[in-house]
Amino acid sequence: MDLSFLYENPITQNIISWYLVLFGIALPVLLIFWWIGLKGFVELTRYEKGESFLYKMNPITKILFGIVIMAVASTTIWWIGALLTFAILPLYLTLNNGLKKFGYVLMLALSSLIGSTWAIAPYTPPYILNEVFPNQNPITVWVWPSYFSIMGYVPDLTFQAIYYGLQTAFRITVTLVSALLLVVSTSVSDLFKSFTQIKVPLAITFSLMVGFRTIPTIFELLDTSLKMQILRGLGYGKPRILRSFYYIIGAVMAIVPTMVYLFRGAKSLAISADTRGFRAYPKRTLLKEPQITKYDYIMFSIIISLVILDIIANMIGFGRSIPYVGL
Amino acid sequence: MSFNGISGAINEPGQIPWEIVLLYFILALFFVFYYGKKTGGLKAFSTLDLVYIGIGAAFSVAWEFFIGRYIGKFLPNSPFIDVGFWGRLVIIFIVAALVRKVGAGMLTLLIFNLLSDIFYYGFGGEPMFTIYESLTYGLFIDLMIAATGGKIFGIGVTPKNGGSSLQRANLISRYLAIVEGGILGLLWAIPDPIFYSGFFGPFIYAYAPNWAHIVFDLFAFIPADIVFGIIAGLLALRIVRAVGQ
Repeated sequence: MDLSFLYENPITQNIISWYLVLFGIALPVLLIFWWIGLKGFVELTRYEKGESFLYKMNPITKILFGIVIMAVASTTIWWIGALLTFAILPLYLTLNNGLKKFGYVLMLALSSLIGSTWAIAPYTPPYILNEVFPNQNPITVWVWPSYFSIMGYVPDLTFQAIYYGLQTAFRITVTLVSALLLVVSTSVSDLFKSFTQIKVPLAITFSLMVGFRTIPTIFELLDTSLKMQILRGLGYGKPRILRSFYYIIGAVMAIVPTMVYLFRGAKSLAISADTRGFRAYPKRTLLKEPQITKYDYIMFSIIISLVILDIIANMIGFGRSIPYVGL
Repeated sequence: MSFNGISGAINEPGQIPWEIVLLYFILALFFVFYYGKKTGGLKAFSTLDLVYIGIGAAFSVAWEFFIGRYIGKFLPNSPFIDVGFWGRLVIIFIVAALVRKVGAGMLTLLIFNLLSDIFYYGFGGEPMFTIYESLTYGLFIDLMIAATGGKIFGIGVTPKNGGSSLQRANLISRYLAIVEGGILGLLWAIPDPIFYSGFFGPFIYAYAPNWAHIVFDLFAFIPADIVFGIIAGLLALRIVRAVGQ
């Protein structure tokens, strides 16, 4: 498709260029704020009790899975990462409230995909594209107005640049999707037990667990604080189109109260931990040791086959073929 | 030869010699163990400190990877602007002000890194990133806590002469918060261009470092980081008071 008649005319060039820039910025943000919202982040970062096999697995197995997925995605050709993303996504359906979680994570992955592609493509210099796609003639899709170079844009947006952006973006989605799987299916106490079992110092485990538990609460509190400001009239009577900007302003304004609230609550948490005898002994004793279940063995075999897949892919020439710069 | 996506390239043209990087981290680790032995290490932290550290790290993760990232998309992509990083800077300075014990900075960065691996990155490139971030960003804060004798950002400073006028004490605290926040902000601007672009970037991705780019980035990061360092110092004073210490 030849679009040169559009970018050779400065008027259409400017209009469409700005449209493209805003599309790349606004679409991921809109996906996040309208379809997912702070509520969705709560859903995607909070553990809920469930019955499916993912809940029964040992947390260490799930962490190991995340590490291996990441390693495989970063050492093999891009479409293996893409396939893994699509293979992991349906696992969300087995979770509690699975359809909802699947919807949220799909939107998050999609927005991350578009956002990352768009954050990489216009900035990738030609010499890198030459390295990635040797012996290929760059196909110019669009030419930005010259002043776009202030924003760091490479003057010509080529088909190769978009393709490169997409390839790199799939490495991000696969880790995102596998990381959140651990988060939504593991209770804090299970994670705590497993960390104790592998002898992570108690102070570190404790802080980590506090953080783990706090992240969904942060989104909840921000959501409440944001709604309070909307109730007070933030953005009232302003045109609909500006409303998402007011949401963002509201979210920024909600940060200090949320922080003060959380830090004040820290005292009660510390007191309750201390009164239950936290750190009274150098080691923690467990009433119930985390078990290795049959699901863990199944997962181990999947992990091992992923490693084998990685090695085979590298041997037959499907190893990582592109350098990623700036990520 | 590569492992976990890391090429392991050293001695690329323009890359900081690995001996220097190693020496820095050995010296930093030496400081950590020496000071840890002197002050009691992890045992020196009360349960409350650990809770503060956990919450602060969680807040930085929520900000850097979920909220700040999307706000940043509305601003031009330029090395002068990094909303995610600024948020982390402010939050972690506040945690340091709440805890005020040597090690608070490093421990917060460590938890931040582990949480960001669990929620976002998936442990790629670990433990390298944790070591790098804890022993640069975290260490700078701890050095400041050590240098101020635990009275970082002027918290708990009382004027030596001139009596106990509260107003005067507040004024001194505020000036100290501005100065110390500014210095820490300046320090926080350094590791990314120098260590990351000058060593870890080439080490991981095997590209040749571009020193014009590194110097440009350094000067691009400094102004905003100083401004946010100062804001963080002043905010820390307020929040510490609001939390009631």
